[in-house]
Amino acid sequence: MPDQALRQRAPLEALARPGRFGATSAAAGVMLSEIRDRGLASVAARKNQRAALLAAAKSAFGCGLPTRPRRAFGRDGLSFVWAGPDQWVAMLDHGPVGGIEPRLAASLKGLASVVDQSDGRAVVRIGGARARAALAKGMPIDLHERAFTPGDAALTFFSHINVHIWQVDETPTYEIAVPRSFVGSFWHWLTEASAEFGYEATGSNSSA
Amino acid sequence: MRIPCPYCGERGNAEYAYLGDAGVSRPQTPLGAALEGATLDAWMNYVYLRDNPAGAHRELWYHASGCRAWLIVTRNVSTHEILNVEAANGAIRDGRVGAL
Ligand SMILES: [Zn+2]
Repeated sequence: MPDQALRQRAPLEALARPGRFGATSAAAGVMLSEIRDRGLASVAARKNQRAALLAAAKSAFGCGLPTRPRRAFGRDGLSFVWAGPDQWVAMLDHGPVGGIEPRLAASLKGLASVVDQSDGRAVVRIGGARARAALAKGMPIDLHERAFTPGDAALTFFSHINVHIWQVDETPTYEIAVPRSFVGSFWHWLTEASAEFGYEATGSNSSA
Repeated sequence: MRIPCPYCGERGNAEYAYLGDAGVSRPQTPLGAALEGATLDAWMNYVYLRDNPAGAHRELWYHASGCRAWLIVTRNVSTHEILNVEAANGAIRDGRVGAL
């Protein structure tokens, strides 16, 4: 009999203090939160199955898997972000724990390797009028609205930490997936970068 | 120096890791063969000997902080001009470069 029950914890649960921080002279320029109710899974095409996988995904999920760095939305809260040649990250909003892998695996059997990543990555949402300026301090890619728009995605780094970023809306709002063991350093850097603009942190937000 | 990744677009060289000459191929030596004569020469050449051209050079780069694809980059090593970039997996499949 275990004498201690293990409790599932979000990666930033102990680190992301909710509240208003940094400059207080104006409205918060940056809004930060962690998405805690989304299932993630990696999807990688099996050898010579690329065309069959794209066709199967389209009929099963209602959207094509993007073949360039973009995010595509399927039915029932599923979306897919390009994650390298013939690779994707599948996401399920409000996904039950462990729910995404079986949901994908049934339709993609033999066509793709599907591995649950829900515990392996943290997903941080950053939005607000100064979100772009805060990210520019640590990220080498151009996030200007002429170069990067809602639905666009990229694999790059932020302050030497490999990240996966995609844009949600024109606010601008972005979501950034970070390897879980790096998210403490990432959060430290992100909050320091946001401080001069004033930032508001909420511990969690729904992924809708 | 900026390298245009065929998958991600143009990125700074901080996102990449360099491996070396894309023109060398691992010798096809049977397991247990004696390392002497032509076999020894082939391994010596593969492991140690490299040309040092002043102009165009075909080399392997890894997009480590990006899509994690191996690329074959043809680069003028005197000017850093990037002359061509292609995915290494296609070149290996076509037999134009040896497996890594
Ligand atoms: Zn790339």
